[in-house]
Parts: sequence; structure tokens; C-alpha cells
Amino acid sequence: MKIEQYKLLEKSLLKDFINSLIPIANVYAPVSKGFNNYVFQNIKSADEVSIKYIPTIIPPKKFFLPKKENILQFFIEDELKVEPVTEYENLIIFGVHTCDIAGIKCLNMVLSDKPKDTAYLIRKKHVTIIGIECNDYCDEYASCSFVGAHMPTTGYDLMFTELSEYFIVHIHSSKGMDIIEKTDIFKDASIAQLEELKILRNNKMKIFNNEIPTERRYLPDLFDRSFNANVWKELEQKCLSCGNCTAVCPTCYCFDIKEEVDLTLKAGERYRVWFSCQLDPFAKVAGGHDFRKERSARQRHRFYRKFRYHIDRYGMVFCTGCGRCSRTCMAKINLKEVLTSLIRESEAKIWRKWL
Amino acid sequence: MSKPKVAFFDFACCEGCQLQVANIGEPLIDLLDIVQVVEFREVMSEKWDGEFDVSFIEGSITDEHAVERIKKIRERSKILVALGSCATIGGVNGMKNSFPLEEVGKYVYGESYKFFPTLQTKAVHQVVPVDYFINGCPIYQPEFITVLKCILQGIPYYVPEYPVCVECKLNENVCMYDRGLTCMGPVTKAGCNSWCINNGNICYGCRGLTINPNTEGFKEVLKKYNIPEDFLIKKIEMYNKCKELD
Ligand code: SF4
Ligand code: SF4
Ligand code: SF4
Ligand code: SF4
Ligand code: SF4
Repeated sequence: MKIEQYKLLEKSLLKDFINSLIPIANVYAPVSKGFNNYVFQNIKSADEVSIKYIPTIIPPKKFFLPKKENILQFFIEDELKVEPVTEYENLIIFGVHTCDIAGIKCLNMVLSDKPKDTAYLIRKKHVTIIGIECNDYCDEYASCSFVGAHMPTTGYDLMFTELSEYFIVHIHSSKGMDIIEKTDIFKDASIAQLEELKILRNNKMKIFNNEIPTERRYLPDLFDRSFNANVWKELEQKCLSCGNCTAVCPTCYCFDIKEEVDLTLKAGERYRVWFSCQLDPFAKVAGGHDFRKERSARQRHRFYRKFRYHIDRYGMVFCTGCGRCSRTCMAKINLKEVLTSLIRESEAKIWRKWL
Repeated sequence: MSKPKVAFFDFACCEGCQLQVANIGEPLIDLLDIVQVVEFREVMSEKWDGEFDVSFIEGSITDEHAVERIKKIRERSKILVALGSCATIGGVNGMKNSFPLEEVGKYVYGESYKFFPTLQTKAVHQVVPVDYFINGCPIYQPEFITVLKCILQGIPYYVPEYPVCVECKLNENVCMYDRGLTCMGPVTKAGCNSWCINNGNICYGCRGLTINPNTEGFKEVLKKYNIPEDFLIKKIEMYNKCKELD
């Protein structure tokens, strides 16, 4: 902890700080929609923002990988003209939790892998991320500690942590520094506050327990033994294939490509839209063959995609523990429970404890 | 090249879908640049006695006259489009099929019901071949335009094979189940951009069941929310009764 990387903000000045961002760029922050639902929304005043919130309906991935994104314009007058399009804006996302920052890191990994997603990489450059640390669990669906996403590490420009008197702000990039320097409401941090931050983090280790009865390092082995588990078959009956769990997941990035012409029928655009492995047409190919017809196979795929495949390819677990998939599922398929059942089932079969 | 000749015809329905077309607003001007409307009872009195390039059929087929009429229209149309749920899936008219025809006739016409012979309700494709389907009760205007553009380009239009929830989630609505309400979204065909939920209403399933609905699973879900099973059956029958005749 280098003291010069930390600044302090009086708690009463948080709104002033948020308001100071609004002239700089489009600011998006969590806004309450009622019924304990929140949305990252463009704000015009700090009064709209919910500082305390549980993970939003859709994670901030929507700013990096828009739900619908034009990628090409074409004109079919006398000859075909085609122009690639990249859509981006300068924006600041305020109030991002560490689980969602972990989600953006997952996307970065995949979309900068070959073939690079240029539009994504351009857009990413224009986004500033201001985090807020969770000092306690958002709710019972979270499993951020299991995947190690409950503590700030990297992936943000500024990180706000609430101490007893102040917010302590970690400056993690020159973009973050620029923002701090634009206002004069920050104070230098002293050793006392860094101490308090250390104590807070130690305390968090007690508050945030491992939510799943195993350790991350056992995941590959557990999943390698679980492909034919009964757990998946049970999901066959339960899951409605509504695709909610994937739409809300910060690490899902599958898309479909479509085209639409305008009413002159002479110009149009090609765009991509989010798509999901849980939906019927996803694995269907010409001739009507469907590689993942059973709901159980689709659910299994979702879990392997979070906890197995990407460990081989990227050395990372692709779940941030945000709990959105469980919160949103009207069939009440719960990620923590599925993992726990998987562990129990496999323990009974192979006489091995996973903890 | 002359503009394609387009006509609208109504069968058993409320004509609400035609009204949606008539009220389409600004795009109407551009639409009229690319098609020629030759018959559309809701907005004009002219008739056309030649061939139609595209015929939009609103309503379901419920008696012998309708069967004859739709067959003739089919013969005169290069492309035939089922417009709205009554036409695509039988819609609310399908509820008739839950009762014996005699009982239905008596209920409506009393003892003179014999003078009004009737048939089980059918969706248009259950009587003549249909080339394009525009679901909804009423239709969703942007989808109408999309389908029309597909027709004019000579390409198919694929009705989304996933449920309304997909669009609803992208619109970041608070889920009706979080509000303590029941919503048909999880088993209903998408394509309306979750129109009702965006406007604060539940989805009542007007576009019909999605291609592969997990109705058993859905019953379990409703149980969790203490909603009786026959509630779901009634909701499904409200729009999907004609499916039995497919
Ligand atoms: S949210 Fe639930 S019901 Fe919907 S696809 Fe995911 S697991 Fe299935
Ligand atoms: S799998 Fe569920 S808990 Fe994990 S990141 Fe996705 S939505 Fe969050
Ligand atoms: S899952 Fe963890 S990091 Fe994310 S909001 Fe909840 S407590 Fe915070
Ligand atoms: S409100 Fe209805 S359509 Fe939307 S996610 Fe919930 S169940 Fe699905
Ligand atoms: S939300 Fe449901 S009821 Fe409303 S238009 Fe769409 S399918 Fe019909």
C-alpha cells in the first residue's frame, strides 16, 4: 500500500464528487427500480444514485458489449458499399462492485484473445471504472468469496472504500488520477486510514466465508468427474430455458449476428445481439439438427463454461460469484445449491472429500 | 418496376391488428413508397379484382364461408401472411373449441342457431398454406415492418424461437415475479420486445407458446408462488387452444 495512491473523501461530499463527474462524461450509476432491483443508468444528478445496492439486473458488461451493436453499414444502390462501424462513447461507470470488475476482466481476457474484438477494445479505452468496495455481503445469493472476487485487486481506475469517517479512494490509473485532480475535494490519506483499511480487509475475511463446500483448486477435478451427474438431469425438469441466467451473467458473451435494411431497401446495417446457450435455436444447425437439445445439456454447458472450460484456456474461473443467475431464475435454480449438490453427489460416488 | 400490390382481409377477429397497421404513424409514408395498397377495408373502400402480390390475413377461420373465401384469396395471392394471433394461432377465438359446437351456437344465437352453421376455430395455416407469420394480439408494429421488409426482399422471417423473457431481460425490466405477479413470459414466443412488461403489465401470452415450452416446469414454478395449476391451463388455453388441430 503506497500512501500516495490513496486519497480521502468526506462522506458528506460523495454526492458532490458524483456531480463533479457529470460535466466530464456520460455517467452511469446504480439506480433503484423498486422491488430491490437496480439498473446501471445514465444519471443527471447524484440524487438518483443508490450507493448501497445489490447487483444490478444486467451487469456493466452492457457498456463493453452492448446488447445490440451495429458493426457494419451497407448500401446497395448501383454497387455494394460496405463500411465497418464502431460505436463508443466516453463514459464513467460509478459504483461498480468488485464482482462486476472481475466480470469485465473475464471479458477482457476473451475479447483480446485472437481474433481480437477491435470494437470491444476501442470501447473499453473510453470507459472509466469507479468501484465501490462491499464491506459486507449484498445478499445470500453471492458467492464472490469462493471465486476471490470480494476484494479489490485490479481492473478499476478508482476504488472507493467506506471507512468510519471517510471514503478512502485507491487511485489505480492515470485516468483515475485525472478525475481526482479535477476537483479539490479530496484530502491526502494518512497512515491511520491505511491502517483502518487493513483492519477492514482483515475483518472482511471473517465476514466473507467460502460459500461453496470446496476450494477453487478442486474445480477441474470435480467437474471432470461430473459430466454424467444426476444433478444435470434434475435441471432438465426445472429449467424453463428462459435465458435469464445467461443474459444477466457478467461473463457470458455469446452473440448472434443479424441484418436489417431500412425502408428504402437500399441501405441497412449488420448488428450483433446477445444470445444464449440456454435458448432453443442456439445450437441448431442447417437441417434442423440440434447439438444441445436437452435442457439438462444446456444447463450443464452453462456450468462447465463457468467452472471448467476456461480454467484450461485462460487459467481463470469464469464466475464472479455475483449471484445474478440465482436471483433472476424464476425456477429457483441456485448456483450455490447446484455446486453443492454436485459435490455431494460426487463424494458419494468416489469416496473423496472435496474440502 | 411497379410497386407490389398489397391487400388486407379480415376474418373472425376484432380488426385491432389492421388498426395497428393503419396507426403505424410516420413509417406509413415510407411504406407507401414501396408498396401499393389495393384493398384495406379498414381505411379505404376500393376493391381489386386481380392478383395480389402480398395478402395480409387477419382473423381465424370459423365457418364454411370463411373456408371458401380464404381459399379464393390464397389462389389470387403470391404471398399470404397471417396477421395477428387470431390468424397465426387461432387466438382467443380458439376458446370456442373447448365446447361442443351446438352449445356454442345456442349460446350465441339461441334456438335459431341452426341457421348459422359454424366450425371449430382454425388458424389460417390450418386451412391454406401460409408464407409468413406475424404474431401478437395485437401485432407489434416494428415486427410488422420487419416482416414486410423480409417479404419485399424475398427472404424468410424467422419468428424468435425463444421466450419473451429474453427481450424482457435485455430491457432491464423488474421481473413480474419479483413484483409478486404471474407472467407468461417464460413460455411465450418473443418478438414483441416484451412490449407489455415494458409498460408495466404482465405478459398474458398473446403470441402463443414458444416452440418448446417446459409447461411441466412452469407448473412447478407457479406452485412455488402458490398459484393453482388450472390458472396456467386457462391462461394457455386463452390463446393456444387451436394448437390441438395442428
Ligand atoms: S434463469 Fe433459470 S429457468 Fe431460466 S434458463 Fe436459467 S436456469 Fe433455466
Ligand atoms: S454464473 Fe451466476 S454467479 Fe457466476 S458470474 Fe454468472 S451470474 Fe454471476
Ligand atoms: S457478490 Fe460480493 S462483490 Fe458482488 S455485490 Fe455481492 S458482496 Fe459485493
Ligand atoms: S417479467 Fe415476465 S417476461 Fe420478464 S423476465 Fe419476468 S417472467 Fe420473463
Ligand atoms: S408481452 Fe406477452 S402479452 Fe404482451 S405483446 Fe408480448 S407476447 Fe403479447
